[in-house]
Amino acid sequence: MTTPHAQQASGALPHEPEKATLEGRNKVLGFWLFLGGEAVLFGTLFATFLTLRNQVADGPSASELFSLPITAAATFILLISSLTSVFAIQAMHRGNRTSLARWLGITVVLGLAFLVLEIYEFTEYIVHDDYGMTTSAFSSAFYTLVGFHGAHVLFGILWISILIGQLFKKGLTVVTAPKVYVSAMYWHFIDVVWVFIFTVVYLLGKVVG
Amino acid sequence: MTNHDLNDGSAVKHRHRHEGPQKHVIAFIFSIILTLIAFATVAAGGVNTAFTVLLLLVMAVLQVLVQLGYWMHLKDKGHMMPIVFMAGGFFVAGLAIIAALYWMWW
Repeated sequence: MTTPHAQQASGALPHEPEKATLEGRNKVLGFWLFLGGEAVLFGTLFATFLTLRNQVADGPSASELFSLPITAAATFILLISSLTSVFAIQAMHRGNRTSLARWLGITVVLGLAFLVLEIYEFTEYIVHDDYGMTTSAFSSAFYTLVGFHGAHVLFGILWISILIGQLFKKGLTVVTAPKVYVSAMYWHFIDVVWVFIFTVVYLLGKVVG
Repeated sequence: MTNHDLNDGSAVKHRHRHEGPQKHVIAFIFSIILTLIAFATVAAGGVNTAFTVLLLLVMAVLQVLVQLGYWMHLKDKGHMMPIVFMAGGFFVAGLAIIAALYWMWW
């Protein structure tokens, strides 16, 4: 088992190192199953949000609360970070570890920027508008859905940061490549969920709030 | 893990030409345009509500298809099981949303 790994690590890396071993291929396949499960998880949160979105009690409604510029900025940041993670995988396919680590680093920084915006937004609502988790059924559903997505972004940032460290420590091998590939899939999925959040929560909130 | 696997891997390496960034930059620009249409329609206002809702949902679905198809490679060959997993996930998610809305409002 160690021979192929050692051989790959010494520079003879196959074109798609994430699919070079059965273990790597299984990791990718298994991660797709996980993402299917994640889709169900977010689906239930969206279902809860959609049923409760008009139950605003004494608090403001969606169209009074949300600010489009912040949501637009967050959307573009996350979209750009999705592209940089594509570039990271392309660098990995060229076997360029430095470029791979650099693109992953940029992805992490963009993820942090997104998170800062979200924390700023939530702080505004809570401190400025006195609009917390327990204000109304709408606010509970909103914070749970959007906050859960934010927690996914935070997890992705930590995960990819650790992988960058591992790339420098262990190099780009058929063992580390599937981990990087799977983390990029996760990052794209975060953007997929965000597309539904900015459409269903923010934009539709403005239109039919 | 046999020698056979290794030989396969290196053979692929020599034959394969690395894809450039062009395709992904086009997908990116397409996503930007979809996002801009969605935000601009809402920011401008004054458009028929039912039409806006439909437009927003179409923009979202198109952008998700770009992400899943191009950036997560679901449109490439050998992705039958991932498509089954994701389609299954989205089906159950959609069912949950329809069921919850129906249960609550009708």
